[in-house]
Amino acid sequence: MKKWSFVLIAALLVLSQILAACAPVATPTEQVATEAPVVEPTKAPVVEPTKAPVEPTAVPEPTKPPAPVEILLWAQATVTEAGAPPDDWIAYKRILDELNIELTYVIVPTGEDGEAKLNAAAAANDLPDLFQAVSASGDNRGALKRLVDLGLVAPLDDLMPLMPERVKLHYNDPLLISLVTFNGQLYGLPEPPPLPKREGFVIRKDWLDKLNLKVPTTPEELLAVAKAFTEQDPDGNGKNDTYGLGGFLVGQGLGNRFDMLMGAYGVPGIWNFSDPANFGLNVRNSKYPEALAFFKSLVDAKVIDPDWPTLKRDEFRARWKQGLFGIMWEDFAALSNKSNYTPFDENFPNGEWIPVAAPVGPHGDASYGVYTGRGQIFAISQKAADAGKGEAIARLLEWMATDGYYLLGFGEEGVNYIIDANGNISTEGLDPAQAYTSQERQPFTQMRNQLVFYNSPQEITARYPTYNTSNGRLMEPMKFLEFFQAQPWVDGRGIQVILPPANAADFDRFYSEGILQFVLGQKTLNETTWAEYLAGLDALGAADYEATAKQNLIDAGLIE
Amino acid sequence: MLQTRTRDAVIFQIGIAIFLTILLLMILIPFWRVIVTAVIPLDIYTKEGVPFFLSPTKWTSEAFRQLLTHSMFPRAALNSVIITVLGTAISLFFTVPLAYGLSTRSMPGRKVIMTFVLLTYLFSPGLIPVYLLITGMKLTNNYLAIILPPAVSVYNTLVMMGFFEGLPEELKESARLDGANELQVLLHIILPLSKPILLTIGLFYAVFFWNEFFTPILYLNDSNLTPLPVLLRNILISASFNEYVEYNAFSSSSLESLKSAGVIITMLPMFFIYPWIQRYFTKGTLVGGVKE
Repeated sequence: MKKWSFVLIAALLVLSQILAACAPVATPTEQVATEAPVVEPTKAPVVEPTKAPVEPTAVPEPTKPPAPVEILLWAQATVTEAGAPPDDWIAYKRILDELNIELTYVIVPTGEDGEAKLNAAAAANDLPDLFQAVSASGDNRGALKRLVDLGLVAPLDDLMPLMPERVKLHYNDPLLISLVTFNGQLYGLPEPPPLPKREGFVIRKDWLDKLNLKVPTTPEELLAVAKAFTEQDPDGNGKNDTYGLGGFLVGQGLGNRFDMLMGAYGVPGIWNFSDPANFGLNVRNSKYPEALAFFKSLVDAKVIDPDWPTLKRDEFRARWKQGLFGIMWEDFAALSNKSNYTPFDENFPNGEWIPVAAPVGPHGDASYGVYTGRGQIFAISQKAADAGKGEAIARLLEWMATDGYYLLGFGEEGVNYIIDANGNISTEGLDPAQAYTSQERQPFTQMRNQLVFYNSPQEITARYPTYNTSNGRLMEPMKFLEFFQAQPWVDGRGIQVILPPANAADFDRFYSEGILQFVLGQKTLNETTWAEYLAGLDALGAADYEATAKQNLIDAGLIE
Repeated sequence: MLQTRTRDAVIFQIGIAIFLTILLLMILIPFWRVIVTAVIPLDIYTKEGVPFFLSPTKWTSEAFRQLLTHSMFPRAALNSVIITVLGTAISLFFTVPLAYGLSTRSMPGRKVIMTFVLLTYLFSPGLIPVYLLITGMKLTNNYLAIILPPAVSVYNTLVMMGFFEGLPEELKESARLDGANELQVLLHIILPLSKPILLTIGLFYAVFFWNEFFTPILYLNDSNLTPLPVLLRNILISASFNEYVEYNAFSSSSLESLKSAGVIITMLPMFFIYPWIQRYFTKGTLVGGVKE
């Protein structure tokens, strides 16, 4: 009996030992269960070829394969908190009935977690059939390229003719196509970027009117208006509690939220995309220190919210809603969409933001910023292609752009949306809980921003409807978007082929801190100090970085 | 002489008291700030930031309401409870016999097994081999994918082993003399005396499983299985990207308030369990760590 007890304990011990072998480092150990209960996956891993065997008869192409093709899709969510659609989602049924495809849709997390999940699957050669390239740094093309180099992604050239409507609506940008073409073969499906050029320069019209000022058209006029907003009590509350300009840092150097100021000097963004012959870092341009000097004059005049170097986006947005400043750079939807605009409207029923054109600088330059055109990229795993699923995936994607478009983007007509007499999507007369805009319906349209929408006018009008503010003024978010998009932007889509240098952290730190030190007055800005700054960048390999970036652009056919 | 000693003792006590007070404040102030941030109304937050003190009449539970009334919250909380309870039970089930076996000096091959246990402590298998193992065992979309890999912690095993070794050998011997086998000794003699260490190690495991975040992301593809930490993360991501969410964006709470409310909600269960176990906690860890 005693021996048996030892045997039992020893057996448990060995089992525990095996489990311990696979515990994460965080809680020191782990192991592997030798007989862990096996749970069947939600879908059987049976792979059916999409093409039926060739019959000796004259029938060349059977319309449907005999058994449903199972397709596993990994994509990010449009509304991460809402979760995936339920198993009885009508779209699953229609996809099965109409396409003979059994779709499993898995929502992949954003950022580093999503990247780690995808990388783990790639390392295990277990990539899903159709998946979204995920990169924490936003370098989706780089993420795809790494998988292509590992031979895990299938070329797609043969599939493109199978989805003509989708190609026409989604994959119609030659530049984006060229960015996902490696060694002459297409490996990625570049979805249209989510509403390009959607941010812009806006000003408080009610403040301008109160102080009898005109919309600024040059950097100097902007400084004068900002000064008036700071010193002349534009909100009339009798307190000295306003600033001219508000902003925060996002990205390197001064970030992209002050690009309209840098653009007035012809140096928006990090790279000089506007002059391919002299491609390189914008800081090489002699106008760059001039632009910094102007920015410093805003700081010196104390007309910019002094917290701008440390402010977070959320805090920045809270401040304009509280009327702290009257000039800013903002996303059109974050500014004017009803849910985002309401707090401002409640605080200032007569407040009004209007868009402003790009200021024209002393040398005649004007630019709103740099358009990078980063969008989602989807790919098909080599494993799926080897299993003969390519054609079925093409069929599914084509359906998403045609017959399934409204279902995946808005829901069922008459239940979740209607199309009004003007051809616009509407929810008028529908049960609010069933309307496609309701919180309850968000799981059913999770794919919309990733695989369905392509920025059609009908789509955008539906997503950003007009409404009346509390004082009855008509608010049209689309007007802001149209104005912003009509401004001069530098085409910087080539940034997608520029890879960060090996010492990116050091380089970025020196680059950004140096610029901030100049505009904050921590370092004197003159020819000598500027030359020292450039020499410091060169010591960190700036010249090599520029040369490599230029070569990548040449190789991608983006510059000559 | 006596006076000097008394004065030194008083100074020492005052010094200790000051030191402990500072230490306490260092812990309490961030905690207090999290609470204030969670209940601060949006208009005050946007105007003044987060003040140190908030008027008792100016606070809001809006951030908690937004999180707790989320349609997926009950399911996510239940998932977390299942993972925690099941994970803790399974972990203790494996850890107790391993620790007892290793604490029994007469067990054949004890040193070899101990070496293997310690090897797993020193060398982690890494993410990919574990991922291959889990997917190979078809455990994707199964709570066991979260529970089994960390089911036995070597650290916890060693602490428990130390506790078992500290129990009087005579107790085991007398039981054996009465005819009890090792399993009976473990179940009827050792475990009733081991409540402190079981609760302590159980707490360690429970906290670990309650906070599990990355492995659910890796292995649970079905959103119905999402545990609480993952759901809270998703809500925060949505809130921080509200310009892209055209419909029903958060607007009545700041992102910081939601974050703080999320921290408090996730912390609460452990916050209530901890004091209950605390009386055993010190004894459990100390007895496990000291060898006479």
